[in-house]
Amino acid sequence: MGAMIKDSTTLEILVQLNKRFDAESLPEMIELQKEFEVFSSKRSLQQAFALLGIVPTDWSERRRWYKFLDFLKTYPSDLPKVNGHDRVIKAFKDGLSAGKPIPISIKCHSAADDPRVTVAKGRPVVFTIETHLIVSIPTTPGREVRKQAAEVAKKRRAAKKK
Amino acid sequence: MTRGLERVEMGTRPGDAEFQRVYSDVEAYYGARVAKYGATPRGVDWSCQATQSLRFVQLLRICDFAGPFALNDVGCGYGALCAFLDLRYPDSRVDYLGVDLSRAMVSRARRRFRRAGRRFAVGKASPRLADYSVASGVMNVNVGYSRAVWEDFIAAMLQDMRRTSRLGFSVNFMSDVVAAPEAPDYLPATLYRTSPERWIPYCEDALGCSVETLDNYGMREFTLLLRCRENLANSPLRH
Repeated sequence: MGAMIKDSTTLEILVQLNKRFDAESLPEMIELQKEFEVFSSKRSLQQAFALLGIVPTDWSERRRWYKFLDFLKTYPSDLPKVNGHDRVIKAFKDGLSAGKPIPISIKCHSAADDPRVTVAKGRPVVFTIETHLIVSIPTTPGREVRKQAAEVAKKRRAAKKK
Repeated sequence: MTRGLERVEMGTRPGDAEFQRVYSDVEAYYGARVAKYGATPRGVDWSCQATQSLRFVQLLRICDFAGPFALNDVGCGYGALCAFLDLRYPDSRVDYLGVDLSRAMVSRARRRFRRAGRRFAVGKASPRLADYSVASGVMNVNVGYSRAVWEDFIAAMLQDMRRTSRLGFSVNFMSDVVAAPEAPDYLPATLYRTSPERWIPYCEDALGCSVETLDNYGMREFTLLLRCRENLANSPLRH
């Protein structure tokens, strides 16, 4: 998300995710988790989402999507000693196996505000009255990342000239 | 609602020409799907591998894995059930025959899975008698035919499965509890939805089976497990 995959792909993936884990689809996801342990420590997020078919329709974006999921291992989370990748898995695993499962929503927040993957209960959008488990991924807009990289490169070139 | 079924029960199947058109359109439909999406769950109209596998779990409840058995997979597609059997029942001894109308599907299935105990054939029905038969999703896409014609087609498929199964067979259907506008958008518009009550009497009375319904696996569909009460393999079906 952000610098790693296209904005349009991010939106597409968010729609797919939020549709598969909404109140209507939740019973199916609970059964899948019960039967196959889709989300578990034995399986990466790449594997879990591939099993669920949560992938960009644009083939050229798939590799980047999988790379992004793997890159979440470098993100911190709201739990001590748990990286962002494992935190997402834990959120889905715990959420789907809870006594009374609730819908799960994925959203993004500014990495500048909070660089951690966070999980909380709440209402993801103003028009819903249901409480969701909200998994939020820190994101930096692609344009911003490219701008920062360009500035770093510019400074490096200037330093070389001196 | 019952028009199509009544015609079959009375022993007057639709004309051969009409059935040929249905078979030909089904073949064309799935040929196009696999050409577009390849040997993937989308290529056989399922949303993902996980849901496809959950359907296999239900369908295979008809089988007794305690010993070796022969299994017909009707509408086998690209042979996804083979991969599932290998993964889920690695020690089982299943003599598998996958049958599909689509040559393109069977060709992909052969490329991926053909080996000893894993065979494939192009056709409308299994050419052999097996202990069990399963069919996943073959009743769902009506390729634009009326409900009556499609139900004739389903009844004919069930008869074929009954005729070629010694112990039992299983099929799944999309449930009619979901209104069309709420259906997931990846599904085609020409879906056949029904209820267990629509097919249970037919399977019990005309096919001589005892029926168990599975509808509690989280999906908007149901699976019928049909156990053969008597061996009808070599005798004509009652109408």
